[in-house]
Amino acid sequence: MNIFTFHCGSTALHRLDVRYKTALVCMVSLALLKAGFAGCFVCFLALSWLVYATGISYIHLAAQLKWFILLLGIMFIARSLTVQGTPFFSFFGLVFTHEGLAQGALVVMRFFLVMITGLLFSATTRPADLKSAAQWYLKPIPFVPEKRVAIMISLFLRFLPLILTQAQQISDAVNARCGNLNKNPVRRIRYLVLPLLKKIFLAADSLCLAMDARCYSEDRTDPVFETGKNEMRFLGAGLFLCLVMICPFHIFVKMTFWS
Amino acid sequence: MPPAYPLRPMVNTALFVALISVGAFIAIPIGPVPIVLQNMFVLLAGLILGPAWGLACVGIYLLTGLAGLPVFAGGTSGIGKLFGPTGGYLLGYLPAVLVTGVLSRALGKRLGGDILAAVAGSMVVYAAGVPWLKIAFSLSWGKAVAAGMVPFLLGDAVKIAAAAVIAGKIRPLVKL
Repeated sequence: MNIFTFHCGSTALHRLDVRYKTALVCMVSLALLKAGFAGCFVCFLALSWLVYATGISYIHLAAQLKWFILLLGIMFIARSLTVQGTPFFSFFGLVFTHEGLAQGALVVMRFFLVMITGLLFSATTRPADLKSAAQWYLKPIPFVPEKRVAIMISLFLRFLPLILTQAQQISDAVNARCGNLNKNPVRRIRYLVLPLLKKIFLAADSLCLAMDARCYSEDRTDPVFETGKNEMRFLGAGLFLCLVMICPFHIFVKMTFWS
Repeated sequence: MPPAYPLRPMVNTALFVALISVGAFIAIPIGPVPIVLQNMFVLLAGLILGPAWGLACVGIYLLTGLAGLPVFAGGTSGIGKLFGPTGGYLLGYLPAVLVTGVLSRALGKRLGGDILAAVAGSMVVYAAGVPWLKIAFSLSWGKAVAAGMVPFLLGDAVKIAAAAVIAGKIRPLVKL
């Protein structure tokens, strides 16, 4: 498993029309820019439920995201230290402020939620469906060869796991030869990237030959999309979620429970 | 006779899109701040694919991130990231790859020319990213440069050197 791969399933999110799924990701991503703590918490609950409903293991997800979580931790500390305000506590001369901690927590939450939204999207969307959606969205735009772009997106999605696997193998081979002890950064990049690029460009060349041999062209059957109740439900729920996220929470509570 | 179907450049472009995406995840720990290879692959795309296919490569990369795939640095994605405070750097990749490709071709695809082209490309990324950051956070020019450019210059110098060396080695393998 890696974070880019599609996970087989027949849940409502898997079956959702990819055009709606793309639009929903954009909506949630935009709403997160404006969301406060309460909005982020509501979004976290919704995304947690979706992760559970799509059958992705939380432990597996945490294992995949461990380096990103570390990065978020560094971001939180950096933000807590750099924002001016009322001192909260100091540690070896470094002063953490109330405002810095609040801003850091909010930025980290937003990053984390955007990350989970993207992971849910890639885990529940087939590469072929994404290619079809790209073709559909780009069709009205003049001077953009939508079929070629869609083919390149499809190829890109096929190359991702190949590159990750090859990079891991080469990294292991370099470490086995004590390459990790080399302190020269240019050499370290060269020893990792050069063999990786050589391998994958040779693989790409073989792919070209195979596609050429099969007379591959862009004259293929256009995708057919169907909009049903599932799409409308998700669109409604997505709009409601975005509204809750950007609405000041106390106003939302008043509107829902007291009116 | 109809023009030949550009299968090879398309496959190589798709490969570079994948490399740029993976570059956000390949970190080389050389100090407290690791080097992430994303922008090195953007410069390499300009050096190897040239301006037109390089531009297509970065355009598709941004499109996939916009669509929701976690391909931006830190595994993020979406329109909010693309037009957020650091969006200037991402959008700056478009003119950067164009400048790198054009200069590399004009300077004869030699090591010195490739280094100059990659330096120009990096400067274009900062020219788009730093003002965007300044406006997004309402910073002064000094603070925007200090936060959005100075800490990355050393890493960029390493990446530019590596990109120029790698471009010379890889070019003979890439048939466009």
